[in-house]
Amino acid sequence: MSISVGLEAQIEDFIQRLKRRQILGSYFVAKETATILRQVVSTSRWRDVNVLIDIVTQTGIRLAAAQPNELAVGNIVKRVLKVIREVSRGELETEGRDEREEAIPDYSSFDEDELVDSDKEQSIFKQSSTTSSLSGSISGRPELTTQTSMFRLLADMSTLTVREQKREENEKRVRDTYNLKPLIIQEINEEIIADLDTIYKGIADQALDFIHANEVIMTIGISRTVQEFLIRASQKRKFQVLVAETAPTYQGHKMALSLSKAGIDTTVIADSAIFAAMPRVNKVVLGAHAVLANGALVSVSGSHLLAAAAKHHSTPVLVCTALYKLSPLFAYVADAFNVTVSPQNVLNFQEGPIIDKVTITNPYYDYVGPDYVSLFIHNLGSAPPTYVYRLINDNYDPEDSTTF
Amino acid sequence: MENIKSSPLGIPNSNSSKMASGSPNTMGQPMSSSYENRWLSTGEDTKKGSPLVSRRKSITPEENKPNNSKEANKGKKDTRPQNPNEPPKKAQKDMTKAERRAMQEKQRQEKQSRVAAGLPKGAKQAAELEVKKNPSPVSADTDDTKQKKKALSKNQQNQVPWLLHLDVPKTSDALTKDLHPAVLQLGLYFSEHKIVGSNARCVAMLEIFSKVISDHKPPSDATFSRHIQKHLDPHIAYLLSIRPMSLSMRECIRWLKKEMADIVEEDPPLSDDESRTRLIERIGHFIRERITMADQLIVQNGLQKIQDGDVILTYAKSSVVESLLLETKKKGIDFKVIVVDSRPLFEGKHLLRRLVAAGIDCSYHLLSSIYVALKSVTKVIMGAHALLNNGAVYSRIGSSMVAMAASDKQIPVMICCETYKFVNRTQVDSFVLNELGNPDDLVQTTTNTYDAKKSDTAVLANWRDQPDLRLLNILYDVTPSKYITLVVTEVGLIPCTSAPVVSYKFNCIIKTCIDFYFYFYYYLLYRFGVNTSNEEFGKRVA
Repeated sequence: MSISVGLEAQIEDFIQRLKRRQILGSYFVAKETATILRQVVSTSRWRDVNVLIDIVTQTGIRLAAAQPNELAVGNIVKRVLKVIREVSRGELETEGRDEREEAIPDYSSFDEDELVDSDKEQSIFKQSSTTSSLSGSISGRPELTTQTSMFRLLADMSTLTVREQKREENEKRVRDTYNLKPLIIQEINEEIIADLDTIYKGIADQALDFIHANEVIMTIGISRTVQEFLIRASQKRKFQVLVAETAPTYQGHKMALSLSKAGIDTTVIADSAIFAAMPRVNKVVLGAHAVLANGALVSVSGSHLLAAAAKHHSTPVLVCTALYKLSPLFAYVADAFNVTVSPQNVLNFQEGPIIDKVTITNPYYDYVGPDYVSLFIHNLGSAPPTYVYRLINDNYDPEDSTTF
Repeated sequence: MENIKSSPLGIPNSNSSKMASGSPNTMGQPMSSSYENRWLSTGEDTKKGSPLVSRRKSITPEENKPNNSKEANKGKKDTRPQNPNEPPKKAQKDMTKAERRAMQEKQRQEKQSRVAAGLPKGAKQAAELEVKKNPSPVSADTDDTKQKKKALSKNQQNQVPWLLHLDVPKTSDALTKDLHPAVLQLGLYFSEHKIVGSNARCVAMLEIFSKVISDHKPPSDATFSRHIQKHLDPHIAYLLSIRPMSLSMRECIRWLKKEMADIVEEDPPLSDDESRTRLIERIGHFIRERITMADQLIVQNGLQKIQDGDVILTYAKSSVVESLLLETKKKGIDFKVIVVDSRPLFEGKHLLRRLVAAGIDCSYHLLSSIYVALKSVTKVIMGAHALLNNGAVYSRIGSSMVAMAASDKQIPVMICCETYKFVNRTQVDSFVLNELGNPDDLVQTTTNTYDAKKSDTAVLANWRDQPDLRLLNILYDVTPSKYITLVVTEVGLIPCTSAPVVSYKFNCIIKTCIDFYFYFYYYLLYRFGVNTSNEEFGKRVA
């Protein structure tokens, strides 16, 4: 397409590393995806927003296909697309609006409730204008949602006729395309990349709201988010942590070591002792690999056991996750996003000839249903699993969810 | 006699072993008299003497230390987290009256200073607090005690606060003299986990006791029947100190003591030889009837519940479940087995080998991936260590998780358990009575010995140096009865809440039925030989 050679090489390199699972950890994946997409926006040639959306979508499909279960890739791509759409919509709608106002992505403008008749009319105008203007656009669907405040209705309807409006919008679009690029890049920087840098702080800041003194907290696997959460809480409160060792990856060992180095009273238990130890536990804190659209969790193998044991003992389960892990996809079957890795760690080759006769499975992830989770703690606050759909609506555009 | 009180019922009391070591003193014989000289009459046993002596030397390096200095005594006793009051009493026996009074004065002053300092009154708790404050204690004592205090601090530091009532596993013990060498050998097997599994341990223990009984010659002033109980107590205590007894082993010992008491009550009193043979015969009968035959009946009963196309999930290794699965394969039923295993013992691997050798279609999972495994499972069958009075199952750690996960998915959970494991106690959580394993077992994460040597050390290799880090390795847990569908026993299939009824009624009514079954079974074996027994049994009794 219209992607430069250098950038293409960078994209290819990233894809290769994703395929080989050389880059692990959704944080790094997300950051790199955002950087690449920002470069795509800035270096590729596009005259119209829809062309840009096409380019970004194509790149996104390639990246997501490299490692389908690394949902962070798709999430970042969709967020960038949402930003692009928001910015372009903001530009087009405002005639004589404040520049600053436009630059902020409109969360306020996202009011589904205010779908009045005149809104529908205006959106129909938009639809006709977009379809008439461009060819080769894959996003020919009507733009489902738009906002408007009541004031602009009166202003718009008064002066221009339909045709004149269309022409005006076309000209405006051509004009404003050149303005859009820096806006979009600025948005990507602020919204996405800078956001990624502050997620740990945002989550850790809430730690004191959830942990009281002399508590016993149980966790599993290794998660930098949970680590920062607990370490921040330990600066003001004294509590104990039980870490399940998470066979066969044994991530729990590293987690316990780093927590104890930070001065937290830590005990390592085997996975099999989770139910036995659960009556002593006050809260369960988990990290997540991804959060799905129904509020379910994809997390390291063993989390389902931990969450189920907590449910049986009525222990609250808190999930510390950043918003970039939130994915608009649903799991049509429990193991839709699961991946199996080498069974070497389960039954290694030294066991001898029985290897040939036995089926060995080593799934890396676990699916935890939304009824096991009490609360999601993310960088912008907290949300119960039933609220997750709102977060998704705020961050993603429904058109993008179907493409990949 | 305190020994009887402490050993079978409650938490193992290592002080009973110390009392026993005191007994040759009180009897006026030198402490170094070996078991063989006292109890075994014939000269052939002296051959066992020399390997025993050398083994004793290797097992008990610190045997000579305890009685050296009072302070060392106190320091050593602090490592045992219970009964700080008794040991000083023992040391007092050696001292004169004046020395004893001086020691009491010192203790009283210490206590006063402790209360003044705001520390708790008990010496043990004060030591604990002090140790927690400074992990490397500065003391003016000898190097000996300094080392002991360091060991104390590391030991104490690893104690999870709510498990302080459990014994930390001890690898060696002071008392090995005056014990039958077979018991010592058994203790070694237990401590190195060469014999694991409740049935295996019970049978081994009963057989060894049978041997001890047959070898025992009472002293001239006592009859065999009265003396044998007192004689067995130090052996029991020794086994307790090596590894806390399983609940089923305690039941066996309780039964054995009852038998010994019965023999004493016998009127007219039996001669020595008669009582000996009777005891040995009863032990053999118990093993045969309550364990071996019971297993076979359980297999028969369990077979009714397995059909073609079943996918059976089992956890860790249970000897009864293994027999059941092998028998199912022999009958030609088409089924699959999923073996779920867990750290650190990986007992499921042994089961896996046996099943694969028999040609059964097997899968292998670790506990953390059990939900993936449960997607295709139709039944869960597990073994038990003991069945508690409230219907809960006391079993290998992790079985409660398997039962919970299966019941969440409405998959029936069957427990195979012999009636001798029905215990007259109740536990509502897993911590009140449990066994602590070796925490270092959790450190090694690779089972591949090549990798273990080649790569750098495990993440937690130096966990003892981390002041805030603890490793917890417990071996048993309690599964609530609501997760269990049914229990397969030799008397039939019962709901788990009927356990107390069965164990209560067992001596009255059901025992006679079992006796009938057994004698009938023996008759069949005699007539038709072993191989056809199962089909014949099914035909005759059905």
